[in-house]
This record gives sequence, structure tokens and C-alpha cells, in this order.
Amino acid sequence: MKKGKFLIGLTLLTALTAGCSTVSKTEPAAPAAGSDSASAAPAQKLDITIGRAFDVNGLDPGFLTENAQVVDNIFDTLVKRDENEQLVPGLATDWKQIDDNTWEFKLREGVKFTNGEPFNAEAVKYSLDRVLDPANNAPTASYVSTIKEVQAVDDYTVHVVTKNPDPLIPTRFNRYPTEIVPPKYTEEAGQEKFAQEPIGTGPYKFVSWDKGSSVVLEANPDYWGEQPAVEKVTFRSIPEASTRVSALLNGEVDIVTAVSPEDRSKIESSSTAKLSAVERAGNTVYVGFKTDVKPFDDPKVRQALNYAIDVKSIVDKVLQGSAVQTNSLIGPKDFGYAGEPDGYDYDPEKAKRLLAEAGYPDGFSATLDTVSWYIKNTDVAQVIAEQLKAVGVTIKVNNVESSVYRTLVPAGKQSDLYVLGWSSTNTLDADAAIYAILRSGESYSTYSNPDVDAKLDEARSTTDEERRKQLYQEIQGEVIQDAPRIFLYQENQYYGVSDRLNWEGRIDGSIPVSTITAGAADGK
Amino acid sequence: MKRYLLKRLGQALLAVLGAATIVFFIIRLSGDPARLMLPPEASEEQVSALRESLGFNQPLWMQYLDYLRNLLTGDLGHSLYYKESALKLVLERMPATIDLAVFAILIAVTFGLLAGILSAYKKNSWIDYIVNAWIFLTQSLPVFWIGIVLIMVFAVRLHLLPTSGNRGLESIVLPAVTLAAYPIAPIARTMRASLLEVMDKGYMVTSRAQGFSKRRRVFKRGLKNAFLPVITVISLEFGVMIAGAVVTETIFSWPGVGQLIIQGVGNRDFPLVQASILVVSTIYIAITLITDLIYHRLDPRIKLQ
Repeated sequence: MKKGKFLIGLTLLTALTAGCSTVSKTEPAAPAAGSDSASAAPAQKLDITIGRAFDVNGLDPGFLTENAQVVDNIFDTLVKRDENEQLVPGLATDWKQIDDNTWEFKLREGVKFTNGEPFNAEAVKYSLDRVLDPANNAPTASYVSTIKEVQAVDDYTVHVVTKNPDPLIPTRFNRYPTEIVPPKYTEEAGQEKFAQEPIGTGPYKFVSWDKGSSVVLEANPDYWGEQPAVEKVTFRSIPEASTRVSALLNGEVDIVTAVSPEDRSKIESSSTAKLSAVERAGNTVYVGFKTDVKPFDDPKVRQALNYAIDVKSIVDKVLQGSAVQTNSLIGPKDFGYAGEPDGYDYDPEKAKRLLAEAGYPDGFSATLDTVSWYIKNTDVAQVIAEQLKAVGVTIKVNNVESSVYRTLVPAGKQSDLYVLGWSSTNTLDADAAIYAILRSGESYSTYSNPDVDAKLDEARSTTDEERRKQLYQEIQGEVIQDAPRIFLYQENQYYGVSDRLNWEGRIDGSIPVSTITAGAADGK
Repeated sequence: MKRYLLKRLGQALLAVLGAATIVFFIIRLSGDPARLMLPPEASEEQVSALRESLGFNQPLWMQYLDYLRNLLTGDLGHSLYYKESALKLVLERMPATIDLAVFAILIAVTFGLLAGILSAYKKNSWIDYIVNAWIFLTQSLPVFWIGIVLIMVFAVRLHLLPTSGNRGLESIVLPAVTLAAYPIAPIARTMRASLLEVMDKGYMVTSRAQGFSKRRRVFKRGLKNAFLPVITVISLEFGVMIAGAVVTETIFSWPGVGQLIIQGVGNRDFPLVQASILVVSTIYIAITLITDLIYHRLDPRIKLQ
């Protein structure tokens, strides 16, 4: 009688094993990532895995719709940034401004792409031209839209001619989309193939891309610079933040990006990995006002709301130190940063007084839009609502889905109060940090101040560094006084790094694999 | 039979077209992807230039007609983000989703049937109660939570299995168990109810009168007759799994269709979402059609018309 029962079990078991075999057939035979960590001696070349929140969409630096964390290892830019974010020579050995609208770059000689094509001025011109060509609709063309033309003067000299004086040209040649691609191969391959099988001059060569899962690179033996310690690197996509950290703790990956602040303690208490905190590498988050809408057209109201918020308690209690309170518009590593300015202390009484002066002794009500892609933003918005209630302002918190928010705000369709975060990682310059959110007429700006506008415009078109610094300081003073936003904080970013490696997260968010070296725990 | 098949195929085509149409309009409700494809600094001119080049400035009905026309020629368009054939992208991801679904459904069927038969066989005994409580529990726990707990226990604490990814047989265990947790309940419940119902049927009473033992009655006669409704439940659950287990695939970074769809929706990658839904709904409809045919095979009294 038992036979019957067993029979069912047996059938299912066979089916199960049959399932197994079909599955295993589709598996790549690659060994598990990080499995060699135990046996690797310190002198040996490293094979590492980096867990990121998403897979790449394509590997063509000229047409990225995301950051350049992966492609920056395959390609080189003319200018690079060292560990201190200082501009240093890359494919260009030297650069200088030769007149108002022209910059001259001297190129490194003897560099070859990994397919043997020579790197020269033609390659630079080609790389920029294809991004600048309006017909190609390059997503990040706006990053180089100040450039009128690139001229190949001789094999190793390039002139970059701008439409107006642009102080940021060297910086622009450090970030995508200005990576240099091989003209012949790029032309032959076409856009679709190039994005899948890229060829560059960088420290790493492309090996494979398993869509939705991982990208594998290996060291370029003919690299013009120093040979890196990491021989092979796999970028794995692990979208769920807690899984990413678990994969690090389980030894499957060696570095994880975008560690959620809640998971910090898991890494800190681990015996196999360490937390790399990059203070103020994230967005500067604020509550924007629509300054042309009542009652927010009155600076007194805007100042009052600033006095009503206890930012320190939000940073300490809600964010648990995963951000830094700041009144500065500009991040500490950005050009134009001038220390931490004074702003608004927490003073609810003063807030009430200002509201009364502005004609709102009994407060008012408003809606605050928030979106969940900033750290704990819904919680932060709730606390802001409670603190404003204490001064008589009733706030309704409206949580908006992130892709909707990204189209709502530039269209000006958000509520009169809205949370926004902005970062300057593209250029590490004050211009990137504030122009788009303060200049009247810009899609993300809900502020209009002719004096600030004039200063913003001048600062982006003069190459006199001292003058620029001065302008940004004046803008900052004026904006703090005028309060087109509630000043909040700048987010930190966290990485988890296995003890077998030595690496610290960077403020520009890049992961130059060639800077990763073996850590103390390797070879244990 | 032939006429039946033709009719069903016709219905299936209509259903797929319906799904494609609904998806076409729904994803366009929240606006077009031009803004999302460009960095925030991009100017309005750049946004509208891109919008124009992608054809999203056309009236909706014209976009829809274009879509239908391309559909007829088998062209599902190019993904806006990946810049390659949307259909190819979906088909590349399909094997991973099928692997996961097959594994999960086998686990769910094994445990669901065992639980259902056991609890019917020992109706109102403590086994029945325990099985029911267990089913209730697995059905009420969020998939998300189950997945994370499994990772914490089997990967981080015990180091037995990998946390995520599709690399080697061992990596399928945790996502498959997570995905199987929910459908165990409906399979077990249907099995139990159907078996109990069959046990009361006249022929079962007769066989009891003939002196057959309970075991023999249940396993020789009862089960065979009780399976039909269970097959429907299993095939529907399997269909749902094939449609991409969005949550499970995300937690375990399983590179299947579910993740592709979620990513496509987030980016408003219209061609990609449309192609995914088209493929998935075709498979779903095929599964229900096959189920009907199996039904007919198992119980010839059921007429296919």
C-alpha cells in the first residue's frame, strides 16, 4: 500500500532531477566568485567581484543612460582624477587655455587601443564629434554642449573650441561622455555592437557581458600606465540592497556599492568586511519652494519655515548620521566651496513671529511632495510635517513614485513644497551643484532672482578662478538670506569592502579598479 | 477537435492582442521616457529633440497603428535603453525564468500534493490541523520576507548556499523555495477539498462496500478522480510564475523576465515592456490551452467545444 505514495514521490523526484539537469546546462562553468580568496597569496593577481545595484544598459561611454562606473575602467579620458579628486594627466599629458574660447590638449604618444588602433588627435576628434552630432541624440550631450568644435592640430595636439569661455573644459574631459573610442572599430561595429563589445585604451579589457547579471573585465596587458593589482573583475548586478550586503558577508562579492544606511552595522560588525563611508558624496537634499506661489513668494515665510525645522534632530534621529547637516549650496570637494556658512538655527518662536509678520499668524496649509529615492525621505518628510505643525503650518505629505517624480518636477507640476536632492558629481564644480536648481528658467529651478542669475551666468563663463570663487560666495550669501529652500543636509554614501582588499569609496562615485589592491586579510 | 483547436487559437490571438493593447496605452499614461533618458541638466530643447526622434510626439492613435503594423511583421521594436531588439532581450531572459518556474512548481507540487492528500486522508486529525496551519502561514508571509530570511539563514549564517545570482545549480534553491512557498497553499487546499469530495461519490461508497481498504480506495481510485481541479490550479500557478516572479527575481538578482519588466517599467522602456508582456501572455495562454487538452485526455467526458 505504501507503494502508491512512494510512486508519486518518486515521479516527482525524477522530475525534479530532470529539472536540475536542464538548469545546469544553461549555467556558465565559471567558478564561484571570490572562491579563490582563501588560497590566493598576496603576490598573486587578484580576481574580484563588485556588487552593484543595477546592470549596465550598454558599454558605449558616449551613449550612457547611467553612471560610468564600469566603462571608466575600459576607456580613458584625457584628464583623470587622483584619490584626492585633483585633475591629473590621463590620455592628455598637458593642457592649457590658449585664448578665451580655445583649450589646447597635448596627447600621450604611443598609446594603442586594445585592438591595435593608434590613439591620436583624430580619435579624440571622432569621439567628441559623434556625441556632439545632434542626429545621434547622445543622452549626455548636455555635458559637452559648450563645445563648438574639436580640431586635430597635429597627431598629438588637439584644440577644443568652445562657444563661450568655459572654465570647466578640463573637468569635462574627465567624465563621460568624453572617453576616447577607436574611430575605425567604432565605425565598423556600429552603435549596437560597440555598446556590447567595447574597445578602449583603459586599464581593463572587456571580456563578457551576461545581460541582467554581470560584466567581466580583465587587465589590459598593454596598458600605458602601471599594471593594476586586480587581474580580473566581475561587476555583478544585485538590485536588492540587503541581498547585496548578504553577498558581501557570504564572501560572494568583494565590494558592494550603495549600502543602505540600515545595513551599516551588519558590515561594521562583520569579521570579514569593512564599511567605507564617504561623507557628503551623495545628494544635497532640500525642501524647495515654488517662490512665485503664495505664501512662498514672501521671503519671511520661507525664512520662518527654515527656523521651524530642527535639522540636527532629523540628521541624528531619523537618518542616524547617514547625512551631514549643511547650509552650503556647494559640496566640500567642489570647486567654489568656501566652508560652512551660517544659516537658520532651530527657533520655532522666531518662526511664529516671522509668520505673523508676514500675515499668517494662524499659519496655513500646503502639500509637500517627496520621493523615496533619497535616504528615508518619507520619514524625513513626516518629521518635517510634524515640526511645521508646531508653528501652525499644516502639511500633507505626498509620496510620489520616482520615475513619475523625475518627469513631474522638470515640468513644474510638483506641489508648492517639494523635496529635491542635487549632486555635482559630474564635474565637482559649484556650477553643477547649483546652476540648474537656482537659475531662473532652468527646468529644476523654482527660484528667480535677477542678481543671482547674472552671477551664475558670469561664473560659468569666466575662466578667472578667483573671480568664480568670489561669485559663488556672493551667490551663497544671497541665497541663504533669500531662502528659496529649506536647507537640510547632504547625504553620505556607503560601500562595503572585503578585508581581502584595500579600497575606499570616492566622492565622485567612480570605481577605478586599478586603484584596488590586496588588503591585509588576503592570503590568510 | 480540430475545430476546437482553431477556435481556441483564434481566441488566444484576440487575448494576446488585447493584452498588448492594454499595455500599450497604460504604460503611456504616465508620460514618455524622453525626460528619464537624459540627465537632469538636459535642456527642454534636448528633451523635445529626443522625444521627436523616438516618435513620442506623434498622436497616440498613430503610435498605436505603427505599433500594430510592426507587430504584424513580427517587429517588436528596439529597447530604448539597451538599443537592441526587444524581443531578443526578452527571449534571452526567458530560460532563467523558466528554470526558476519549473523548479519552483516542482517543489510546490510535491509539497502541496503531499500536504493535501495527507490532510484529506487524516481529515480532522492533528495532522490535518498542522498541515492547515502550515499552509496558512506560508500563504500569509510576504514573499519578500521569506526570501530575505532564507538568505540570512542559509547564506550568511550557514554559508550553505549563495545569496543571489544565477551561477550554478545551488543558486536556484533559495529563489525556487521562496517562489514555491505561496502556491503550495492553493494546491494543497484544492487537493484536499477535491479528494474529500470524491470520497463521498457513489462509486467510492460502492468500492467501500466491496471491502477495499481505505488506502486502496484513496490511492487507487480516489486520487485519479480528484486530480482534475488540482491540475487547473497547478497550471495557473505555473503560468503566473512564467510571467516573471518580479519580487523573487529582484531579491535574488535572478536574471529573468520579471527583473527585465520591472526595469523596463521604471525606465519607461515602452518597446521592452510591450515585448515582455506579449511574450509572457502568449506563454500564459498556451499553458491554459495545453491544460484544457490534458483535461480532455484525462476525462473524456469533458467535451472540447
